[in-house]
Amino acid sequence: KMTLFPQLLTGKYRDTQTSITDSSAVYRVSSDKSGNVTLIDLPGHESLRLQFLERFKAAARAVVFVVDSVAFQREVKDVAEFLYQVLVDSTVLKNAPALLIACNKQDVTMAKSAKLIQQQLEKELNTLRVTRSAAPTSLDGSATGGPAQLGKKGKDFDFSQLPMKVEFVECSARGSKGEEGDADFEGLEKWLAKIA
Amino acid sequence: ERGGNNSFTHEALTLKYKLDNQFELVFVVGFQKILTLTYVDKLIDDVHKEFRDKYRNEFQQKGTLGLLNGTFDFKDDFMRLLRDAEESSKVRAPTVMKTFEQSLKSQKTVKCMIETRGEKPKEKVKNKKNKGSKKEGTEAVAAPGKASAGDKQPSAAGDREELTKDEILQKNREEFFKRHMKAGEKSSKSPKPEAQKEKGKKPRVWDLGNSNAKVLDYSNSATNGSAEACPVEEFDPDTALGDRNREPGRLYDLEYESDDEAEEEKVIQNPSKPSAKKGGLGGMFGMLKGLVGSKSLTREDMDPVLEKMKDHLIAKNVAAEIAVQLCESVAKKLEGKVMGTFTTVTSTVKQALQEALVQILQPQRRVDVLRDVMDAQRHRRPYVVTFCGVNGVGKSTNLAKISFWLIENGFSVLIAACDTFRAGAVEQLRTHTRRLNALHPPESHGGRTMVQLYEKGYGKDAAGIAMEAISYARNQGFDVVLVDTAGRMQDNAPLMTALAKLIAVNAPDLVLFVGEALVGNEAVDQLVKFNKALADHSMAQTPRLIDGIVLTKFDTIDDKVGAAISMTYITSKPIVFVGTGQTYCDLRSLNAKAVVAALMKA
Repeated sequence: KMTLFPQLLTGKYRDTQTSITDSSAVYRVSSDKSGNVTLIDLPGHESLRLQFLERFKAAARAVVFVVDSVAFQREVKDVAEFLYQVLVDSTVLKNAPALLIACNKQDVTMAKSAKLIQQQLEKELNTLRVTRSAAPTSLDGSATGGPAQLGKKGKDFDFSQLPMKVEFVECSARGSKGEEGDADFEGLEKWLAKIA
Repeated sequence: ERGGNNSFTHEALTLKYKLDNQFELVFVVGFQKILTLTYVDKLIDDVHKEFRDKYRNEFQQKGTLGLLNGTFDFKDDFMRLLRDAEESSKVRAPTVMKTFEQSLKSQKTVKCMIETRGEKPKEKVKNKKNKGSKKEGTEAVAAPGKASAGDKQPSAAGDREELTKDEILQKNREEFFKRHMKAGEKSSKSPKPEAQKEKGKKPRVWDLGNSNAKVLDYSNSATNGSAEACPVEEFDPDTALGDRNREPGRLYDLEYESDDEAEEEKVIQNPSKPSAKKGGLGGMFGMLKGLVGSKSLTREDMDPVLEKMKDHLIAKNVAAEIAVQLCESVAKKLEGKVMGTFTTVTSTVKQALQEALVQILQPQRRVDVLRDVMDAQRHRRPYVVTFCGVNGVGKSTNLAKISFWLIENGFSVLIAACDTFRAGAVEQLRTHTRRLNALHPPESHGGRTMVQLYEKGYGKDAAGIAMEAISYARNQGFDVVLVDTAGRMQDNAPLMTALAKLIAVNAPDLVLFVGEALVGNEAVDQLVKFNKALADHSMAQTPRLIDGIVLTKFDTIDDKVGAAISMTYITSKPIVFVGTGQTYCDLRSLNAKAVVAALMKA
C-alpha cells in the first residue's frame, strides 16, 4: 500500500517502512473529468488496522483493498478475516462504497491471478460468515458478526451478492522492470477515474 | 499503547527512540548493546531539534506530499552532531569531576563517609575493569546511597581511581574540617537535616511498644470461640433462582449518552481547576489560553489529569502497575502534540487513553475457534483445547459451557478429565456430560454421541491421560478435545512444571488461561508466572504460551471491568470467551468498546 500511494501521487518509487499512522493526500485524476480524490493510506499492521479502519470508514467514498498476490495462499485466512470485518461493518454496509480489490505484486512470477484470488476469497468468506454468526453473542447483547448476513443465505457466498460494487484488478507497484521501473497499475488508475 | 518504555533490545543491538508528536515523526538511534554510550540521549534530542527546525516549513505547509517529494539532506548535519556529542562526552569527564567533589562530598555526613571507606576498595576494582574497556563507566552504580545524578557517576569512578588511599584520607579530613567551618555556606539542604538526625539518636518509640500485650489483644472475648461470630445471612432461594431466569444476553446497560453528559460537565469544571491552582490574573489567562488557540501539550499539563485517570483506572480494578504503564505511554504519545482549538487537556488525554484501551482489548489476531476446528476437521485430527488457571476460577464450569456451544454448532466433543487431584472433579464432569447428552441426544445428531468423558480416575499423571484422550479422539473421530486441568497456584513450582509438561508434550491447538474478573493485581502475577513456567519447561524453540484468555464470573463485577485490561495487557492475547453465569447459555464474547465505555464511565 505504501508503495502504491506515492506512485499514484508522484510517479516516483520510494522505499517504504511499516507505518504506524495514516497518510493522506489529494490525487488529481489524469482524465478529462479532472476530478479530485483524497487518497488515504492506512497502516496494515495487525494491531493497528482495525483502529484506523474505525476512524476512516465513515468518510470513505470508495475502498481499495490491496492484497499481496504472492503471499496470498499462506495468508488467505487473515486476508479473508480482515475483508470480512470491512464488509460486515454497519457503516460500510450503509454507505456501500465501491470496493476495489487490488491484487498487487503481479510482477513476481508466483503471483496468483485475480480470478483465483476472487474464488479463494469467496470460499473463505463463505465459511467465515457461518463461523462468525455462530460465535457467542457479545456482552451487551449485540451479535459479534453483526446482524447483517453477508450475501444471501442458503447460497454460497459471491461477491455479486454484496450491496456495493466490487471489482478485481491486477497491479504491480514495482512494475515489470524492477525497482525503479514504472508501476503497472493502469487498471487502478482507470478505476479511480471512474470513482472521481 | 506500550509507548512508555523507549528502548528496545534485539540480539546485539539496542534501539532508542524518541517521538515527535507535533509533526508525527519517530527518531530512532541504534547502537551496539555492549557499548554504554552516555551521549545517546543527548544526541537524539539534538538531532530531533535540528531536523525539526530545518524542515519545519516542509512539514507545516506541504503535508504528506512534502514528505514524499522533499529531499532530506541531513547526512552532514547528522555527522556533525554525532561528532559533537562524542567529543562533549569525552570532554565532560574531567570538568564534572571537580563539581562532583564540591557538591557531593560536602553533602555527605560523617556516617556516609565511614561507609564509603569500606567500599572504596570494591569500587577501585570495578573501576579498573572499566578503565580497561575504555568506556564511560555508567556501571559505577556500586556507589549506593549517593544522591548524585547518573552522569556524575562516571566522574565519581574516574575520581576515585586517581587518588591513592592516603590522599583520600587526607581529602576526607579536609572535607570534614571544611564542613564544620562552613556551617551554612554550602547551600544544600540535605546535610542539615541529616546532621540533625545523627545528633538526635533518640530511642524509637513504637506506638504500643511499652504497653503490654493486653492492649494489643483486639479479639472480642464475648464472641471468641462461638460459632456465630457473624450474623448468618438468610438464604433466599427466590432471588437466586430469579437470577437464573433472567434474560440471557442482558448484562448491563451501557448508555453512551450519559457518558458524554458527564464528560461535558467535567470539561467545564476542569478548566476552573488549573486556574484555581495557579491563582491570580495569570491563572485566568491560563484558563482562557487552554480553551482557545492551539497550544502544545507539556508534561506538566498532563500530569494532574493523568494522575486522576490512573486513580480512576485503579478504582475500576485495573492492576496498579498496568495503570501506571498505561498512563506513561499515553503521556509519551501526547507530549508535544498540538491541541486543536476548544479542546481541553482532559478531553485529549481521555480520548487518547480510550483509544489505547480499545486497542489493548482488540487483539492482534482474533481467535476464531469454530474456524480452526473446521480446519482441524479437514485434516482429520481433533482440535485440542487446554484449560489452565489457578484454583476456583471456573475452569470446569466454563469448559462445560464451551462444549455446549460447540455441540450447538455440530461438533462432537471429548472431555478429558485431567484434573486427577480435586475431589469430585471427575464426577462433576461426568454430570455435565450426562446433562449435555440429555440436551443433545444422539438421535438428533445422526446417532453420534456428541459428548463423551475420558477419565482414568484420580491420582494418575495428567499429561498421560491427556495424550491417551487425544489418541482416543483421533481413533473415534471426535472433532474437539477439551482438556480440564487441576487448578494450581502460580507459585507452586512442581505443579507449574507438571502443567508445562502436559502442554509441551501434548501440543494442544489452543491453550486457554481461565481467570476470574474479580482478580485485581494478582492477575499480573498469575499470568506472568504461568507464561514463564510454560516457556521455561518447553524444549522447543518457540514454546507454547497462553493463546487466549477466558474471563469468568463477569456477572459478579458491576462495572469494575479492569481485570480484562490487566490480562490482555500482560499477554497481548485476546479474551476469547467471557463467562457470565452458571448455566450453559452464559457464554459471551468480548465487546471491546462496551468494556472501555464501562471503564471510562465515572
